Amino acid sequence: MPTGDTFFDGFLDDYFAESEEHLTAAADALMRLDKSIGNASAERAAVDDLFRYFHTLKAISAMVELRPAEQLAHHLEHYLRAVREGECTLTTAGSDALIEGTRRLEHIINAHRAGSPLPSIEDVLARVENLVGTRGERPTKTSAPEDATETGRRWTCRFVPTRELLAGGIGVDLVRKRLGEIGTIVEAAPHVLPDATISFQFTLITADGVDVVERLSGIPVAVEAETPSGVEPEAAAVEPAATAGAPNAAISHVVRVDLARLDHLMQIVGDMVISRARLADSLSRVERHVPASEWRAVQENALASDRQLRMLREGIMRVRMVPVGEIFRRMPLVVRDLARENGKRVKLELRGQATEIDKYLIERMMDPVLHLVRNAVSHGIEPPDVRIAHGKTPEGTITLSAAAVGDMVTLEVADDGYGVNEEAVVNKARQAGLIVPPGPLDAAAVLGLLCSPGFSTKEETDRASGRGVGMAVVKAMVEGLSGTMALDTEPGHGTRFIIRLPVTLAITDALIGRVGEEAFAIPQGSVREVIEIAEADVRQLEENEIVPYRDGALPLVRLSRLFGIASTARTGRLHVFVLGHGSASMGIAVDRIVGQREIVVRTLADALVRVDGVSGATDLGDGRVVLILDPAVLARLTNQRARRVIPDAAAWGRLPA
Amino acid sequence: MHKILIVDDSPTIRKMVRASLQTIESAEFIEASTGLEAIEQLAVARVQLIVLDLNMPDMHGIDVLRFVRRNAHYRSLPIIVLTTRGDETSRQTAKNAGATTYLTKPFAPQTLAQAVRDLLDSAVEATPRA
Repeated sequence: MPTGDTFFDGFLDDYFAESEEHLTAAADALMRLDKSIGNASAERAAVDDLFRYFHTLKAISAMVELRPAEQLAHHLEHYLRAVREGECTLTTAGSDALIEGTRRLEHIINAHRAGSPLPSIEDVLARVENLVGTRGERPTKTSAPEDATETGRRWTCRFVPTRELLAGGIGVDLVRKRLGEIGTIVEAAPHVLPDATISFQFTLITADGVDVVERLSGIPVAVEAETPSGVEPEAAAVEPAATAGAPNAAISHVVRVDLARLDHLMQIVGDMVISRARLADSLSRVERHVPASEWRAVQENALASDRQLRMLREGIMRVRMVPVGEIFRRMPLVVRDLARENGKRVKLELRGQATEIDKYLIERMMDPVLHLVRNAVSHGIEPPDVRIAHGKTPEGTITLSAAAVGDMVTLEVADDGYGVNEEAVVNKARQAGLIVPPGPLDAAAVLGLLCSPGFSTKEETDRASGRGVGMAVVKAMVEGLSGTMALDTEPGHGTRFIIRLPVTLAITDALIGRVGEEAFAIPQGSVREVIEIAEADVRQLEENEIVPYRDGALPLVRLSRLFGIASTARTGRLHVFVLGHGSASMGIAVDRIVGQREIVVRTLADALVRVDGVSGATDLGDGRVVLILDPAVLARLTNQRARRVIPDAAAWGRLPA
Repeated sequence: MHKILIVDDSPTIRKMVRASLQTIESAEFIEASTGLEAIEQLAVARVQLIVLDLNMPDMHGIDVLRFVRRNAHYRSLPIIVLTTRGDETSRQTAKNAGATTYLTKPFAPQTLAQAVRDLLDSAVEATPRA
């Protein structure tokens, strides 16, 4: 029998997952609290929610014996209880301490997860301790608790649970949730009917003209409207905790699945994709031995199973998808705090929070986005006086947006501040001993400098947070996820960092190209265009090749040269994948383009096998391994060699053929 | 078969409670994450024992206790209140409201399992055999 000391260690993953939910919800409640100054009922609701989050964090931290987290959560809960019971007033210092406490709690839990030393909590404990018993300067309206909702129409709704209903998913929780969407639940309590059955009675207040029966759409709830005159002062609501409408309960209809299990499913689907491709290969070889009439049936079945397999793959992928808003939700607090610290005024706008992205990516993008947002507040936005002097509004705006385009997701962090000063970046880079390309730099080159390891060492130790990552790390993380990063900046008007990521990893559509005997796959999401050009159009520019493309030129990489494979193209024409955007675009030349396939990405973990420019390998079904190209690294390889001067259209004609 | 209802708003705690009671023979577990859900489960399933958290959204554990004890059907149903420690006034409140046993979190799995076993045993003894 396991002892109490180690028994609950097996639940650490559950602990981390649940803590994260509560911390995110707490950050949300803190923002609501901040906005609720002067609104007693909103403040009360936020305090109640916070109280419950800290209470649960205390309990679960105690269970996994993470004492500092338990202790800190306990103190925060204690302070909130004092506020709730009117022993002290919630002051600005109080809400600041709650924010600091929440953040420290998060650090403790993250440090525990990472196995690093836990941050100290003494200072926060002292801060919170001092607050209990203070009555302060926070402007609270002491007028009668104004409940705007009390003026609507009042309903009594009764629900009798049965085993059959519950088996069909209709239970008190669903009823409460649905009623909460229709109006405001002012009371929810169980009753025992004379025949000993149990019913739940909800008192609901809705806006005038709302038809509760209709809105319940089939959920068996007995609804009774009270006549306006019947709005009696309800026999004092049982106990505050018994009233409903808590947002927290929304979690209960969600199934929690260990990510590893989904990974396993995904892997099986991956194997099926390969088996399916092998089957197609075998089928094509037996085709001539099968009578045409039979063959048709075989092919129809094969196509159907193809479609179903794709649907299965998409279904599993959808399960892994979570709204990107999860990354965004903690940002308002970070921005508000950092802005206050830096004496700046910043408004945060969030867009596209519902955009969905693989859970795996969410977890890995949290820190990079956080870093970009922090940078935007500390270095992007000007102090109010500077902004006014430049004819801008004193309040800067940071826009955090997400959008999905095909198989790619774009995350953008934009500010309307200084913009990146190229000269300052170049000077700083030179001071740091970095090699700066000559001539005027384009945005990609500036970004390259910003993201060079060693460009900024100050940022690493920035803030006591301990989770600061430098721009170099941000870029490495994005590229590690087969993503790309771009910079768009205009001095005096602002800066925009654009991160493009594949929606999901593991299985993706790819274009297959051939060079000599070798086949290469390139993720379709990163291919902008496929073009064909005559060998004669290729120009030599120093040691690089370029080809005309649209109004400019495109640096060309021949895979045959890059990987030292004998090309077998004889036609004098090159097939080129165009990758990347703007000045970061490049062309990848292959002998011929075979087609489009669904591929299963297997990363090459063996360092001996790993080659720059190749992100993994796949199996197309004919038993041969195909290398998957890594567009981000290829772009860097070309940049290193080709980022000299790319001529504009006018200069094109003067180049040696 | 002993039907045990585990009521806690934290899924992690529910899982821990369940794991702690794995050694109880022929036990079947039902879970609820709010007080209202707990009462719903009481209404539709033959629950033999409740492990009840106090601080929950929707309906406080104390209200669940009071409701259950007011109802003749459930007057003798064993209820273990399992709540976060350091709140000594609530122990008395819980006892007064009808808690059979009062345990605090963090709990040792053996302690909880033993408390459940004791209550199930005494419930069996108290039930006159037909």
